[in-house]
Amino acid sequence: MTSSAMAPTPLHMPVKAFYFNTSAHLLSITREKASTLSEFLQALRVCPEGSIFQHTFRTLQEHHFIREGFSNDFAHWALSACNEPGLAEGLASVDVREFTSVAQLRERFVQIVEGFLKRTPAAVNRAAKETFYFCASDIMVIPTSFVAHTLQEFAEGLRGVSLHSIHHHFIEARLRLKLMSNDFSQWLYEDLGLTDAARQLNRIDIYTVTMEDVRKQIVRIVERALS
Amino acid sequence: MEPVASQTRSESVVAETSSRPAETSPAPPVRTERRRKPRTWETPPAPVPPPHLDDYKNIVGAAEIDELHFLARELKGKTVKMVNSTAVGGGVAEMLNQMVPLLNEVEVNTHWDVITGGNDFFEVTKAFHNALQGGEYNLTQHARDIFLMNNEQNRQRIQFNEDFIVIHDPQPAPLIRARQESHQRWIWRCHIDLSSPNSEVWAFLRPFVEKYDAAIFSSQSFARQLPLPQYLFYPCIDPLSEKNKDIDDSFVQQVCDEFGIDRSRPIVTQVSRFDRAKDPVGVVQAFKQARKYVDFQLVMAGGGATDDPEGVAVLKEVREAAGDDRDIIILDLPPWCALEINALQRASTIIVQKSVKEGFGLTVTEALWKGKPTIAGAVGGIPNQIIHKLTGALVHSVDGCAYQMRYLLTHPDFARQLGQNGREHVKENFLMTTNVRRWLLLLRILQSEAN
Repeated sequence: MTSSAMAPTPLHMPVKAFYFNTSAHLLSITREKASTLSEFLQALRVCPEGSIFQHTFRTLQEHHFIREGFSNDFAHWALSACNEPGLAEGLASVDVREFTSVAQLRERFVQIVEGFLKRTPAAVNRAAKETFYFCASDIMVIPTSFVAHTLQEFAEGLRGVSLHSIHHHFIEARLRLKLMSNDFSQWLYEDLGLTDAARQLNRIDIYTVTMEDVRKQIVRIVERALS
Repeated sequence: MEPVASQTRSESVVAETSSRPAETSPAPPVRTERRRKPRTWETPPAPVPPPHLDDYKNIVGAAEIDELHFLARELKGKTVKMVNSTAVGGGVAEMLNQMVPLLNEVEVNTHWDVITGGNDFFEVTKAFHNALQGGEYNLTQHARDIFLMNNEQNRQRIQFNEDFIVIHDPQPAPLIRARQESHQRWIWRCHIDLSSPNSEVWAFLRPFVEKYDAAIFSSQSFARQLPLPQYLFYPCIDPLSEKNKDIDDSFVQQVCDEFGIDRSRPIVTQVSRFDRAKDPVGVVQAFKQARKYVDFQLVMAGGGATDDPEGVAVLKEVREAAGDDRDIIILDLPPWCALEINALQRASTIIVQKSVKEGFGLTVTEALWKGKPTIAGAVGGIPNQIIHKLTGALVHSVDGCAYQMRYLLTHPDFARQLGQNGREHVKENFLMTTNVRRWLLLLRILQSEAN
């Protein structure tokens, strides 16, 4: 929750309607690439913010069906191409939801790689089995046909929209809001006063379930609030 | 059209299997008599009408299709011209046959033109194609002249009045010289691997490419350093095509019966041209290693051996490697056997694509889409599709391939999970509808830059 101000009285008629949007991503190829961990560190420092977004937030969406073993592209490359499980664990443990800006997220990854290379100098210039190509995401937000004027319609929208839309509102939102929250929780809290439901949504673990499971959990929480 | 018995294109190996270590292999199963002359169509079937976007709703969901319509709204009335070098045959023409009607359906008026040229032009473009993918080539002035003259003739013949012009592959790249309108956006869609091109040919083509507003590649590693935005469009499959659509199990059974494949025992299949880049002999060797520990059949289904001298030689090598092992079923199929390939893939317990050099590897995409645990060489675009131990198994050697065959055949729950993940991966990233989305997005981004 974002404010210590008193929440509105719980009513099932929101102050404002919730408009379900979605984001479409186009993958671009950047100039940065890395064949060693030192090149990787350098590229991490200078690549466009869209690259950090692509290889963390966006890749989570692209692999939304995997329950375990995949967190972000950096961790995956550290393990599969560099055979550095310790570094991979560190990179994989970064939870994108703890960051409200890509700059902070980049800094965290840089710290992890720097720390690893200080402790493991032999790994600095060892050739990786495969080159890491930094890509970036161009994002376009588009509307959907789903609008919720009531909590009931909100639940229907949650069931009907694409997983891209769920990702847009539930995971990418914090970069837009600059808050440790998401669009759904914000609406439930600010427009309906459903503080508990809003908090429960924020506690869903996106790294141990699929995005479809995330959707189901959100719907269950909203249905409980309805009953 | 009646199915006919093919005399030359297909055969199965019927000799008894070679001896196996008694202490590790299970008891030999009862073998069914195999047909030597399975039925295949001698001529291509009539083309199937292209699907509509709504036909994909049951596959990707109504919301995804609605999003395409929303994405296209701002492009309504805009015009696009696609230009390539062939109307039939090859992956690009196949993709355009599907993509152009879908773009028109969302009211982005899309027209497709094909360049023309004499045999000398297409001989040069074929040589360029191979050289750009790393082959040796001596670029003569004569070849340059033929290439430029034919492109100039096409430039004069084709009108370029559309808002977006998309030129596919190197053959028509010089058509960028037709650019006149400042609001126009020109896109170069490169379908080939440019990671290590012949330097002379690339130096000749590069000045044309640099004049485009954007370039599209099929893999990060295929791209070049260029002074223009470069985008990544993965190749895709059509889930409603003959090769990928859902089919009745009775047809799968019929195809297996025709080809002498025993569905009561595990089946491992590689579907590929008989080409050394696909390492079919390596697959046979892996089978022979793995079969010491687990009983299964190997199906090697391919084509192209009748009109390609190298294909004939490779097929011979595969047959020699297989020897008299009746559990290795080698099928040389004509290119229009898409439904049979679909059935063979669906009948398979595991699918292998043990390439040692690969473009994107659409046979891997097809296998993953059918939910099959897939073992594939870690080359070309395959690692974009197979995340090791998550959406399939990547291998680097015959030994690795043999081990994965054994492992997946004896760990069916894990294999099933790989198959499920692989299908979802394709659904998210490598289907025709995803590519429609990419095209619409790119056009909108370029449009916003033009305004």
